[in-house]
Amino acid sequence: MTKPVETANGVKRRDFLKVLGVTGAATAMVGCSTDQVEKLIPYVTSPDHTVPGVSNYYATTCRECAAGCGIIVETRDGRALKAEGNPDHPVNRGAICARGQAALQGLYNPDRFRGPMLRQNGQLVPISWEEAIDALHKGVDTAMKSGKARHAVFINQHEQGLLHSFLDEWLAYRDMPPHISYDAEAPFATIVANRAVYGVSWPRLDFGAAKLIVSFAADFLDGWGLPVPQQLDFAEARGKIEGAPRLIYIGPRRPLTGLNADQWIAAKPGTAGAIARMLAGKMTAAAAAAATDVPVATLAALKKEVAAAKPSLLIAGGSGPKALDLATEVNTLNKSLGNVGVTVKPAEAYGAWEGVVPPAVLNDVVAAMEASDVPALFVRGANPVYSTPVGLGFAAAAAKVPFKVSFSTVPDETTALCDLILPDHHALESWGIAEPVKGTLGLQQPTMDPVFNTRATADVLLASLRPLPCFSCPVDPAEDKQHAADIAKFPPDYRGVVASHIGGNSKLQHALPKGLLAGSLPGRVVPVAKIMKPAIVGEATGDYYLATYANLLMGDGRGANKPWLQELPDPVTKICWQTVVEMHPETAKKLGVERGDHVTVKTVAGSITAPAFLYIGVRPDTVAVMVGRGQTASGRYATGTGHNAWSLLPASNDAAGGYQLVGVRCTVAKAAGHSMIVTTEGSGRQHGRGIARASTLEELLTGEEHKPHAFPGQASTAFLPGLRAPVAGDAQGEFSDPTSAQKGEYDPKHPSGRAKRRWAMTIDLAKCTGCSACVTACYAENNIPTVGAEWQGPILYPDRKFPGANITRSREMAWLRLERYYEIDREYKDMAWNPEHHPEVRVIPMLCQHCGNAPCEPVCPVYATYHAPDGLNVQVYNRCVGTRYCSNNCPYKVRYFNWFGYGEPDRAQYAFPEPLNWQLNPDVTVRAKGIMEKCSFCVQRIRDAETLAKVQNREIEADEFTTACAQACPSRAIVFGDAADEHWSVTKLIEDRRAYHVFEELNTFTAVVYLKKINHPAPAGVTA
Amino acid sequence: MRGVLGHFRELDSAVDAITELKAARLGDVTVFTPTPRHEFEVAVAPPRSPVRMYMLFGGLAGCLFGYWMAIWASAYWPLVVGGKAIASWIPYTIFGFEVFVLVGGLSTVAGLFIHARIPRLTMMVGYDPRFSRGDYGIWVECAPDRIASAEALLRKNGAVEVRGER
Amino acid sequence: MATIAYEPKRPNIASANVQLPAVRDYEQVDDEIVATLRPSKAWFLMLMTAIACLGLGVSAFLYQLHQGLGVAGYNPPVMWGVYIVTFVFWIGIGHAGTLISAILFLFRAGFRTTIYRCAEAMTVFAVMTAGLFPIIHLGRPWKFFWLLPYPNWRLLWPQFKSPLVWDVFAISTYLTISTTFLFVGLIPDIAVLRDRETNPTRKRILSFLSFGWRNTEREWRHFARAYLFLAAVSTPLVLSVHSVVSFDFAMAITPGWHTTIFPPYFVAGAIFSGIGMVFTIIIPIRKWFRLQHYVTLNHLDAAAKLCLTTSLIVGCAYMVEFFIAWYGGVQVEQDFFWNRVFGQWWWAAWIMLTCNMILPLSLFSQKLRRNPTWLWILSIFINIGMWFERFVIVVPSLSHEFEPWQWTTYAPTWVDYSILLGSFGWFFMWFLLFVRQLPIIAIAEVKEIVAPRLKRAHAHTPDNADDYEPETPGAHN
Repeated sequence: MTKPVETANGVKRRDFLKVLGVTGAATAMVGCSTDQVEKLIPYVTSPDHTVPGVSNYYATTCRECAAGCGIIVETRDGRALKAEGNPDHPVNRGAICARGQAALQGLYNPDRFRGPMLRQNGQLVPISWEEAIDALHKGVDTAMKSGKARHAVFINQHEQGLLHSFLDEWLAYRDMPPHISYDAEAPFATIVANRAVYGVSWPRLDFGAAKLIVSFAADFLDGWGLPVPQQLDFAEARGKIEGAPRLIYIGPRRPLTGLNADQWIAAKPGTAGAIARMLAGKMTAAAAAAATDVPVATLAALKKEVAAAKPSLLIAGGSGPKALDLATEVNTLNKSLGNVGVTVKPAEAYGAWEGVVPPAVLNDVVAAMEASDVPALFVRGANPVYSTPVGLGFAAAAAKVPFKVSFSTVPDETTALCDLILPDHHALESWGIAEPVKGTLGLQQPTMDPVFNTRATADVLLASLRPLPCFSCPVDPAEDKQHAADIAKFPPDYRGVVASHIGGNSKLQHALPKGLLAGSLPGRVVPVAKIMKPAIVGEATGDYYLATYANLLMGDGRGANKPWLQELPDPVTKICWQTVVEMHPETAKKLGVERGDHVTVKTVAGSITAPAFLYIGVRPDTVAVMVGRGQTASGRYATGTGHNAWSLLPASNDAAGGYQLVGVRCTVAKAAGHSMIVTTEGSGRQHGRGIARASTLEELLTGEEHKPHAFPGQASTAFLPGLRAPVAGDAQGEFSDPTSAQKGEYDPKHPSGRAKRRWAMTIDLAKCTGCSACVTACYAENNIPTVGAEWQGPILYPDRKFPGANITRSREMAWLRLERYYEIDREYKDMAWNPEHHPEVRVIPMLCQHCGNAPCEPVCPVYATYHAPDGLNVQVYNRCVGTRYCSNNCPYKVRYFNWFGYGEPDRAQYAFPEPLNWQLNPDVTVRAKGIMEKCSFCVQRIRDAETLAKVQNREIEADEFTTACAQACPSRAIVFGDAADEHWSVTKLIEDRRAYHVFEELNTFTAVVYLKKINHPAPAGVTA
Repeated sequence: MRGVLGHFRELDSAVDAITELKAARLGDVTVFTPTPRHEFEVAVAPPRSPVRMYMLFGGLAGCLFGYWMAIWASAYWPLVVGGKAIASWIPYTIFGFEVFVLVGGLSTVAGLFIHARIPRLTMMVGYDPRFSRGDYGIWVECAPDRIASAEALLRKNGAVEVRGER
Repeated sequence: MATIAYEPKRPNIASANVQLPAVRDYEQVDDEIVATLRPSKAWFLMLMTAIACLGLGVSAFLYQLHQGLGVAGYNPPVMWGVYIVTFVFWIGIGHAGTLISAILFLFRAGFRTTIYRCAEAMTVFAVMTAGLFPIIHLGRPWKFFWLLPYPNWRLLWPQFKSPLVWDVFAISTYLTISTTFLFVGLIPDIAVLRDRETNPTRKRILSFLSFGWRNTEREWRHFARAYLFLAAVSTPLVLSVHSVVSFDFAMAITPGWHTTIFPPYFVAGAIFSGIGMVFTIIIPIRKWFRLQHYVTLNHLDAAAKLCLTTSLIVGCAYMVEFFIAWYGGVQVEQDFFWNRVFGQWWWAAWIMLTCNMILPLSLFSQKLRRNPTWLWILSIFINIGMWFERFVIVVPSLSHEFEPWQWTTYAPTWVDYSILLGSFGWFFMWFLLFVRQLPIIAIAEVKEIVAPRLKRAHAHTPDNADDYEPETPGAHN
């Protein structure tokens, strides 16, 4: 195996984990949830770099989306445990999104193929790799013999890297056309327009340099384009407070970007182009207003604003017939406004979309398959049977292909059709290489031995070339020699391909720890399918517009079989395990539909019947449905969960060859039945309780000054230095008597020195976008069970046997939750549509506040929760008897109870079916049935840091380590540290004038300090 | 021991008999009555029952124990909860009080048993089931030579039945 | 002992007269009360029903034990539900017993004499029932003993600042003392049974239970003293117990719980609910056992007045809660109370207000006070109302707290309901066993208020027989 990356700096802050073999047991609270006896057999000779109980770290590249972020995977005893961002990586700079975290659940997915399989009379039966490669060889050979080899189709999930050229070489050798690098999520109009206007497929968008950001239906914070880098830059820009950019979002539905926007301009679906043309002066505001159904005043103001704000940043997204025009128009605007090079930086282009092929080529593919011209269909990673518009009729056509091979790791709708399954390694088990930004290569290396009997696709393809009996070629020694020679041209295996590209093994070995090196990949000529006048189907039928969208979690459906992603509520609707039809309350009234009533949405292509969900962020003439759920054969978590929005879409393309996701006409009708909405949302407004606070820059500059520090007993409006005094005064052990002699460990002079510290956290609401990556990070770090799967519902409740049964009873276990509040004064169902005004939205991560005076502590009858000398509010799992009084007394409602034995393998509610349990963090116990749990500030990481410092005979360095949520946060909004030590950055942030405690009046003296969100109203002189 | 058992139907005749017996000093008098009557208390004029003392001292002991237990146990593991004092004596008053009641109540019953001389294994002489029904009994414990006069006295006061017992 | 038998008669407060004109002499008391101890078929049937309900509850609990608390209807943050509601309900029931047997004894309220034994037994069994629920509701019931300060080698102790530990002490003390009080009171009566018993084995058992009680004046003297002082400590005890139970809520900062009015409010409510349960039990008993001339309408009338008083106190407490919520100006509190009465939980709140505040006002009419049927029906409403009072305190408060994002609702499941039913099975099983084994009317104490046989005074005539109206003409004489 390879060398661990301990040398890579920036990884230092996790170095301490290397000594945690000793300490893990000491600090992790051991609650024995099962009585299983496990035998521990020590290594006779241990593998290189493997010390039992000590973690290794491997730098590799994330393949969950096209961005190619750099991740560092923690492995212990040969098992990958957690994915963290690679701090040195130019794309994600140490951050990682929810989907990237969930890569591990792809790796350990219980539904993965255990090995190669062959379809024999309708059933897939396991076979050996020899047989499998033989079968592949035969199949390919037959295809070649059929003489139609040039029609063969190889669809590969788009990813940057060498595999492109390798596949094409291999296919060429088999007389087959280049492969199709397919990505249903690629924003194609934008890509094409970028290539046209900027010369690169994806320039870096420098939000920080802009004064004004206008997004034309581009949801750049939730899965559109390159989520992580965009969010990093955007959050950094917003975090500047003074001179932070104002954000305007234009589009028929208000997605996460819209929620973060200071203004939402609800233009009709597919009409954002009119606004762009208006800004370009090619159209009057009145005309644009007519086209977009937006008040003229708003557009006029927008025009003024854009003209005034220099530099600005206009981002074009959207899909639909006019998407390409829109993108081109917007990019040209950026040019004319002089933003190119300032806020739009083609020089720092990302490599994400290099070589991606427009989905419209599938039109030809399907046609060919229909004509039975296609002798062989190869699919790797992608799931075209599911993630293509139903109007395309891919499945039916594919059925006509005689030889269908899948290299997918997990079963899905496509593999259900295939004859031969040659499961590839998971990305975390594979070699690879990417060019995330021009001139920099990101390496991909196996982080552990394959979980199952899988093989790298490239190696399989190579093996299929090896001198097996060559059925097609005539027996002619010369040809044989030729054949052998050709084969010799191929490297022995794909690792060799990677190594040779960067100049040999030694260089590879040297580069691996960092995971990065300078270099570039061979460019790829994208085979442009013959396009492209927009093929528009079913424009005029139906009185509503359909707006389908993909969020970061489910994506085009690839996230659906990962329980973390299913359980993580959508950042906007807060719905999990369910597909709903989002409609404006007025629409619902018109249809006579209540929240949860079933409605049927019908387009020319198809129809679905799903529960209605009242969302005030969607135009009354539009209904929105999320794609990505409702699979039929994608494994236990995905199959039958929700409804499939792809089955609503006709085979429409825009001029760039992208799918039309928005603007299809549809009819909506009330249907029989009612479902509970599977949501974690209680009330979506703050009722004036000041939980998520916001102010404007003006208020901040003119407004309240830093107030003097308060002391316990009086409601404080400001903070004690580093939150110290309330802690020192009460919780850190002066037994309400300053002269008390016996403070024990609570005495700062105690040898343990714990009382010298006060662990605290700040969360900057100006940066937080609500993306919820922190939540998944918390699930991964702390072994939090998911409770929403169908079979996890309370048993003996037939009516409750639907996914999310426990979530409809609010039993989700998320230690850290994202609350999303609308600044409205009435319930959603009473909200009227007002195009002039759309309510402000605030998001706030809510976790255990580790109060100095914690209300939960004194009510526990058995000391199961108490106050540690270093300010932590400790939960002792194996002392807890489950009175649940602590939760009743917690004003923040951040304590979670184990209603079932989620950690017990023999239970219906078991949350970690083999091998998902391989991911469980060994430093954290899996909690037993009947006890309370909550955020621990990642106490295992704290104790490890302390131990490491002790072992190295030093003090803990400032910002040496951080919690899982802070580490993942792609907004860098969360900062963790010791508030009692001014060297930690948290200490300075606590003194920020935006800082406040939630429910300060309760005198809980929380250790979590929030920094107010900053709103950016339209500048003076512009009347919006 | 020997004595005479007088058996009365009416309350007042029994009371008269007792008064006379005490005057005549014939011997120790034990009164059996189905239900407590003040008339007997007046006639017999016994000392005050000391049972309340048990309540007092038992209760005080319990109260102290209650406080001590709570304070000692808190101080033994000095863990801070909610910034409250380790030994918060005000809420610990509850333990003082409850244990006061518990021990006090139980020791009162102990006092009752001790002074009422129960539980006793035998009924001893001089008991008749009718005394728990509606009739009154007077058991005079006296020397043999006085038995006759005692019987006479009881009869005179309207004892329906008089018998000597040994 | 204490009696107001010779108190002069005053007009139109008949209920103050607690004499039993229909009881002529001690022998009659013995015979009639010993007669109640003969098991009947109907009794046996009721016992079987009670045991069946208990069985259902037990099996539901075992199921929950195996599956986890998730099978109950909990809906976080509503972390306490039917079990805690029922716990407080039964504790409350218990209080009337001690009130009647101890407090009214100290106040020399003679009408307690005939109903106190019944009430005291009810107390013991109700507390036995209540004590189960904190354990049933635990996440890990098998670890309940960690709440007790038992010596262990790690010297781990409970957290004495927790109201739940206060509960443990208050309730165990309460159970012990009220059991003792009941049994001490029983000793002379058991002696009576012993002397009436013919069956040798039963006689042996009874004489063992009677500790060889001999009815000597000496025994009676100390007995009276002990009885008085037990009553004296039970009085503050009964007040403390429900105050401590109310601390479970008042000590929390949850809106709707965090109120200083809770201790008096809970005690009044407890006594109110207890009297309700006394009516529910005593009225059928006096009918079936033909004891109308022991538990006379005067007694019921007096008890009904007590019921009315407590009902008024409780109603006043409700009003004060609402007023303070408004007057205190804490917006969270105001939101909560609005939601309790006019929002999400209006139905529960109005059941509570109707049953506990409005219906009992009928007791202002003496006619209804002296109408056993009405009293019984009302008592059922009171039981329901008081259960819902606790529901309204526990559930809506938790479902509508500080964090709007965590506002939820709550719906019990069949498991909750089965265990609730089981608790009634458990309670009535014990009570039914009691009424056929031991005298439900304190023989010795009744004899105190029956005029003794006298040589001089002539045939005993009740000095105010005109106040006495037998329900069934000729029930006496």
